Amino acid sequence: MKLLNSVVLGSALFSSAVFAHTMTVVPSHFVQSKTGGFITVDLSATNMTFQADKGIGVEGFQIYLPDGSVTKPAAVFQGKRKSLADVALTTDGTYRLENGGSARFFTSYELNGERKRLMGDKQKAAKELPKAAEKVTTTQGRNRAFAFVTVNKPTENVVTPTGQGLEFKMDRHPADIVAGEVVTMTLLVDGKPAAAVELDLSRDGELYRNEPGRVHHTTDKTGSFSFTAPEAGRYLLEASYEADSKSEKADKVRESFTWTFEVALP
Amino acid sequence: MKKVKVAVAVALLLSLGSAPSFAASLQIELALPKPDHGPYHRPYVAVWIEDQAEKPVRLLEIWREKPDWIKDLRRFWRKTGRADQPLVDARTGATKGPGAYHLKWQGDDNAGKLVGAGEYLLVIEAAREHGGRNIVKQKFNWDGSAIDLSLPAGSEIGAVSLKSGK
Repeated sequence: MKLLNSVVLGSALFSSAVFAHTMTVVPSHFVQSKTGGFITVDLSATNMTFQADKGIGVEGFQIYLPDGSVTKPAAVFQGKRKSLADVALTTDGTYRLENGGSARFFTSYELNGERKRLMGDKQKAAKELPKAAEKVTTTQGRNRAFAFVTVNKPTENVVTPTGQGLEFKMDRHPADIVAGEVVTMTLLVDGKPAAAVELDLSRDGELYRNEPGRVHHTTDKTGSFSFTAPEAGRYLLEASYEADSKSEKADKVRESFTWTFEVALP
Repeated sequence: MKKVKVAVAVALLLSLGSAPSFAASLQIELALPKPDHGPYHRPYVAVWIEDQAEKPVRLLEIWREKPDWIKDLRRFWRKTGRADQPLVDARTGATKGPGAYHLKWQGDDNAGKLVGAGEYLLVIEAAREHGGRNIVKQKFNWDGSAIDLSLPAGSEIGAVSLKSGK
């Protein structure tokens, strides 16, 4: 089911070359003790966590500065296996580095027994679909890959949930996740705790382990999820959510994100 | 009986402010080792006291140079460095080479007030370019009883001893 979801999502939101992959944003540094420097961010689609597989488009990559304003990277490069973005860290505080982010609509249908897809919402589909189209479903999809980077003192501005789409809140700042400590988070949809959010937590180095050590969790109605990172390192949380929609534009909503974070040494 | 003494001591402390009530200081001997191989840069070292909740109460020393690498003292950076630049600046000393160093804590917090009796933690963290990172965390009772602890040497922090003193 998960695989099916990601195939549909991946092919809808990104080029078909990267479908079924996980999109990640991985900064070279999560914590800095000086302003005026740069970090370089890897943007990639992967199968194994943090094992770069395909470079992805950099057009949708945005930097949310500590004051909440949005800017573009100082330089970008789209490579075959990973894409790169240089990010200037000119002020103190917490930055959000995010790829993707805007909602897109696609309508899937069958024509003479063949699955087909049209990029567009229900109104567009009503105008453009062939008369013989069957099993028509329009989905509103949004996928984001993000990471937080903190220079000197952590700030909350770009960490605080906005109340739109799939997000999370946590019992600590992203810069305060430490190996061996219990972290509790709540998954939110449009600002409210969300049940049935599918979560996968994984960590760096899967290529060099027989057991990947992934943790799977589905939120209950309180939307909460707790984990204890066994060791310091880079971790990835993948979250996805699907629900029927009553909007005029779509029958279903699919939201997902991947969050790359660092677990610090105690 | 002991409880009463401590209570009296605390009451005295509160009323007199700076008068020490029990063991006046914690004497710390700290060695920085000389590595056998590789290029050597002096380590960044932070030494501080935490309370029972692992909240920092007193920064004793921070030996460092450029701000760029302070973050590599991970615990120090998370607990103190990133949020209190004036304190870091006030306690900053030059980096030190291999050798034995004598430090002491006089039972005060960062504001200069004497702390109450209880269990505390001495934390020493060291990180070295092209080297490793070590952290030493040692609990001790700060209630007037004698302290005499010796800790084994690691790769970046050599032998450490804690003794109560005047």
